[in-house]
Amino acid sequence: MAQGVATVQAQSPGTGDGFAGEPYSPDRSMWGKVKKYRLEIIMVLPFVVYLVFFMFYPVAESIVRSFLNQNTNEVTLDNYRTIMNRSQFNDAFVNTIGITAIGVTLQMLIGLGIAFMLSREFHGRGIFRSIVLIPMGVPTIVAGAAMLYIVGFNGYLNRFLMDVGLVDIPVYWQQSGIRGMFIIALADIWKALPLVVLILLAGLESIPGDVYEAADVDGAGGWRKFRDVTLPLLMPAITMALILRAIDAFRIFDIAMVLGGQAIPVMSSFVYTEYRAQNVNLASAAAVILLLMIVVFVIAYFFLVERRGGDEK
Amino acid sequence: MSSAEVAVTTSDQRPAGSRRRFKVGTFVFWFFAALVTLLVLFPVYILIKTSVSTLAQATAPRPSYMIENPTFDNWDRLAQWSVVGDPLMHSLTVATGTAILAILLAAPFSYVIARMPGNYQYPIILAVLFTRMFPEVIIATPIAERFFSWGLNDTDPGLILAHLIRTLPLAAWILIGSFQAIPIDLEESSSVDGAGKLTTLRRVVMPLALPGIAVAAMFAWLDSWNDLLYAIYLFVTEDTLPLLTYYYSNRGNVTDVATFSVLMTIPVFIITLFLQRYIQSGTLSGAVKG
Repeated sequence: MAQGVATVQAQSPGTGDGFAGEPYSPDRSMWGKVKKYRLEIIMVLPFVVYLVFFMFYPVAESIVRSFLNQNTNEVTLDNYRTIMNRSQFNDAFVNTIGITAIGVTLQMLIGLGIAFMLSREFHGRGIFRSIVLIPMGVPTIVAGAAMLYIVGFNGYLNRFLMDVGLVDIPVYWQQSGIRGMFIIALADIWKALPLVVLILLAGLESIPGDVYEAADVDGAGGWRKFRDVTLPLLMPAITMALILRAIDAFRIFDIAMVLGGQAIPVMSSFVYTEYRAQNVNLASAAAVILLLMIVVFVIAYFFLVERRGGDEK
Repeated sequence: MSSAEVAVTTSDQRPAGSRRRFKVGTFVFWFFAALVTLLVLFPVYILIKTSVSTLAQATAPRPSYMIENPTFDNWDRLAQWSVVGDPLMHSLTVATGTAILAILLAAPFSYVIARMPGNYQYPIILAVLFTRMFPEVIIATPIAERFFSWGLNDTDPGLILAHLIRTLPLAAWILIGSFQAIPIDLEESSSVDGAGKLTTLRRVVMPLALPGIAVAAMFAWLDSWNDLLYAIYLFVTEDTLPLLTYYYSNRGNVTDVATFSVLMTIPVFIITLFLQRYIQSGTLSGAVKG
């Protein structure tokens, strides 16, 4: 809370122009600015140069390469054609989308439920909160490894299903298709739930109590309050959690490598496999498609949400 | 939630209805709390259980829920360090190096951004955030080729440089928030008193920013400690802990995987416990507000 107040203060228009402790200077020429902000430029430069050189340049390099023939360096679309004809790639594409859809949907629903529980006062809330956050303290690859004992052929999920009588013979979960998507999404949900809960809880706690009092005065019931008060005010937090989680789910690697390996390819592991097979340009093409999937998703989300927000006004 | 509302409608003919609503709601509430607790704790329990099981017990067709005849053979083997020693050292060195360099590079940047006027600041913060949209594999392929040609494969500095790619935006994101929280008045009065920019930074800003810097450093450390992707690209003859865990799990060596996993989790767990209060109040609330 204190941070929020301070942030507003720091951005107040009184201190709008110029940096710390600098009086407003009328010298607005390019060189004047460079001289005036010499220290600031020196402070910013290493970070910017690093990211340009080690992040943006490699991304551009991959994009260019995905259009080049690996042997002749001619511009071509063959890399894309080749991977799209591979069943392994098609599996990876479908699996990645399936894992993201299943995982993120369930994470948001369960996360919202737990965030609501934690926003209430009850005996043992502190302990419950700590328990919910435990997976955050477990490395991603460990989350995958732990799930190995549960969804393996001789794992606990099969034992449980057989004990309950839902299946007679053990199910082979670690295979491409809906089962593979399900188990990888399961591990991802377990690992990422704390983050979703924390973001949504922070959002819930930032909703002022008097909004609900006003809704009470207007005679709004529980469902109306949820739909017309809580949900719209929670939207920034929901967007934040959903976008963050979806991006990470599209890029899923560790869990898929441990749980699926070659049997359940996802986009990232497909790229890695092609790289290991020395097919660098094919790997680049697949990586570019993964980048496009993420960009299209984010743009589509903002487009849909923005448009709906516009309609309501 | 909704079941509590159902209870209201069924019981509103009775004056004591509010009491019954309380009971039904409470039951559903505690049922879900217990279920969530069970599902969250179960994998952790199984991991610890497997680490004290024999391979035969761990791969039995019908695994038991209880720990029976615990054996510490796996842990004895681990304690000899012959397998896990080098990877552990690599992981520790790389994570620590990444954390230090991430702060050295990201803190000055974040400070300047935090003190920029809002209309410049916002697009930069967004740009930093949106670097997350780049899949790591699109970066890792060219990076791996370059690092191999520079002889940086299988070396700690190489992996540190690679981990910084992902860690820098994360650290900057946390640090910008914590620098924004430092009131600019303090710096202004310091400069009125005649202190130069650098003196102000050292005497006024640094002490106040230290908690935020510590949080960012711990996140950077964790991020590097957990990484499998850059390690798998860059380490061919050497191993890090995640890499070792991955290779052993590929070979079906499930009990060793369990001990490596527990070993790997211990520092993460301690740091996360320590970070919990910061995660809730500082970084994320700032993040949600944008």
